Amino acid sequence: MKSILFLAASMAISQASPDGKQLFTTNCSACHLLDQMVVGPSLVEIRKLYEGKPDEFVKWSIAPERKRDGAIEMPSMVHVGEGGLREIYTHVMGISKEVKIKVQKGGDPYGASPTHTSRPQVQRIFMPDAGPAAIAVALDGDTSVCWDAGTSRFRYAWTGGFIDGYPYWKRNGDGLAKIEGEIRYLENSSPFEPLGERKFLGYKMEAGLPVFRYTVAGLDITEKPSAKEGGDGFTRAFTVSPAPAKRLILDFSSTQDVQYTSEKGSWSKNILTLDPIDASEFTITFSLK
Amino acid sequence: MKAKTVLLYCLFSLPAFAWTENFEFENIPNPPGVDPQVGAMGTMKDGRIAFAFHRGEVMIYDPSSSSWSLFASGLHEPLGMLIEDDGSILVMQRPELTRLKDTDGNGSADEYETVFDDFGMSGNYHEFSYGPAKDAEGNLYIVLGIASNGASMREEIRGEFSTIGELDRAAMSDRGNWNKNKGKAGRMYSRVPYRGWVLKISPDGSKMEPFASGFRSPNGIGFDAKGRLLITDNQGDWRPTSPLYDVKKGGFYGHPASLVWGKGWDGRSPLEVDSKELSELQQPAAGYFPQGELANSPTRPVVIPKGVLPSGMTGQTLIGEMNQPNLVRVLEDEVDGVFQTALVPVFNDSPLGKGNNRMAFGKDGSIYVGRTALSWPGSKGIMRIKWNGKPFASLDKIKALKNGFALRFSEPIDPSTLGKLAVESHTYKYHATYGSPKVDKQAMEVKDAKLTSDGLTLTLDIGGLKEGYLHHINMVGLRTKSGGKILGANAWYQVVKAPR
Repeated sequence: MKSILFLAASMAISQASPDGKQLFTTNCSACHLLDQMVVGPSLVEIRKLYEGKPDEFVKWSIAPERKRDGAIEMPSMVHVGEGGLREIYTHVMGISKEVKIKVQKGGDPYGASPTHTSRPQVQRIFMPDAGPAAIAVALDGDTSVCWDAGTSRFRYAWTGGFIDGYPYWKRNGDGLAKIEGEIRYLENSSPFEPLGERKFLGYKMEAGLPVFRYTVAGLDITEKPSAKEGGDGFTRAFTVSPAPAKRLILDFSSTQDVQYTSEKGSWSKNILTLDPIDASEFTITFSLK
Repeated sequence: MKAKTVLLYCLFSLPAFAWTENFEFENIPNPPGVDPQVGAMGTMKDGRIAFAFHRGEVMIYDPSSSSWSLFASGLHEPLGMLIEDDGSILVMQRPELTRLKDTDGNGSADEYETVFDDFGMSGNYHEFSYGPAKDAEGNLYIVLGIASNGASMREEIRGEFSTIGELDRAAMSDRGNWNKNKGKAGRMYSRVPYRGWVLKISPDGSKMEPFASGFRSPNGIGFDAKGRLLITDNQGDWRPTSPLYDVKKGGFYGHPASLVWGKGWDGRSPLEVDSKELSELQQPAAGYFPQGELANSPTRPVVIPKGVLPSGMTGQTLIGEMNQPNLVRVLEDEVDGVFQTALVPVFNDSPLGKGNNRMAFGKDGSIYVGRTALSWPGSKGIMRIKWNGKPFASLDKIKALKNGFALRFSEPIDPSTLGKLAVESHTYKYHATYGSPKVDKQAMEVKDAKLTSDGLTLTLDIGGLKEGYLHHINMVGLRTKSGGKILGANAWYQVVKAPR
């Protein structure tokens, strides 16, 4: 930032008798557009703030402060000098007259919030291809999953990023979050479907990842998704309590072909059979193809 | 989250506005980077204030250091909060009532326990969930907004689909043809369980009782100081202007969409029930917020604690408002056991601004106001309002009389200004059309206005009160004996029952 300032200052000095337009282009235009906020507020907005107040404009430009969230503090324009700043003021007021602010499209002003960008991340929001009580989980920077609290089941996994929640958040929920990346695994139903209806109990957080809890047929199930070491896949660690008395047969059929592996039980295509001794705690690795 | 925050104090001092002579209005710094639309607020035991934001963060503001910390994140449109004795926070989010617990004591929640989620979601944006309010026995009350025909349902829903209605499930979730079909859905609809209902939930979340029906967009639920369950709703279809209800078990509160979930409902589409029948079925509003004048989107009622406002207002109910730049104070009255109210503005013509969605009170007597918009008129961010302890003139009590009203002021009134007082009344149409004009509006002649010798109580004779009418008492021209104005100088009294 300092070197840019220095450059700007030296350029301003090198101008013999700069007018407001030139000074603006040199010192201001990188951050201030006519009709929309970029790094700093638009000229239309500046006009609203300072129309008829050239002294305040000069004062601010010489000693600016950080005024708004999500924006950086403007560097001081003391180098332009009071005369130059008054020229810039006249120019800004002139070109912004009767101009309207352009509605910005697509940009999420809070997209950089630490509560969106940190990984892992849990976000409940309306998701595509799921029920309305969906939960999106960024397992790491690349792999994410959608879990459905309405039906207590895993819905799908994708790679390439997390979600863009702005279609929901920019208004009142009349849009769904967008998946950033590509769905690589979409599970057809809950592996516990044959046992009956499930009831969602919530989740606990372990190192930023949720451990989902639900019940089915008197069994208390926990399910923790994690990213697969080395990438391109994910794991799901299950606990079942009390330990089932009979063999547990779990169907993980999906619309996409993946490779299923686990230390316990035996696989027949997408069906895992666990003996009671193995069924109280097991982890499955889903390797994406 | 780093507690270090750039302090952005915005101190208003506008002596032209009378409220500013008695209150300090100050924006508190938003948590860095976070969308500061406030959905829920609560005061913790230690005096810190918990906020839930639009995108699901629950953050705690420490007034002693003006700093923020993150307690929980990732919730789905939280719009209500209740702080429990052990420091857990109950949050009402769109899909469920959740208990956030910090079991390891590190300052952030590690358990997100689902307390209650046994209600339907059609996926429609307008199905907001509000509450919880807790009664003396620890039961929790939540209230569920109904869907808007501004959008269809989603194909995948949670809960049972009600087949009552002109459109079948396929048509209700057919986005492509929605514009063609939406007229048949009803302006607002309740096709999944208990939308438009108040649900009473046992303290442990295991039992639920459908408690009352007839709600539309009830963005405000809370108990008053006397244990009445108050709910505000928003102007719209079957809502001539925004109402305030005193909700009782089994009551129907005016919007018919929810009737389909009533036990023993005869299966008729709510669109086919005429307003006369509904009118007989519904419980009357205990207060009305005139649209455009007092409130267009009233919010959550809270009880005014001691020291926050002058003592005459302690224990009264304060209600937020999204659309008009004021809050609303409730003056309660009772005639033959019927609760009815006058509503008066607070902080009108002040730096308050719009979007006043939720309120909480600081240990120092500050009022924290959290704003939101959710794309409707409103704002965002948080304002702290602090009374400087100076008394001011206000209307503190009102009582319906056979011929008019008795009004109790906080400061003696100058009798020579009584001629400036004006009263008018009007009623509304109860119908499926959005809102209602003022109906049968007329000035009521002030036949007599008498002040007690202390100048504090004014008795107005306006020749009787009209049941079912909103009575507007305009006190803008009144002055105190010391020449001061009344702050919040309009009152709207809904006469449900007139004294005989």
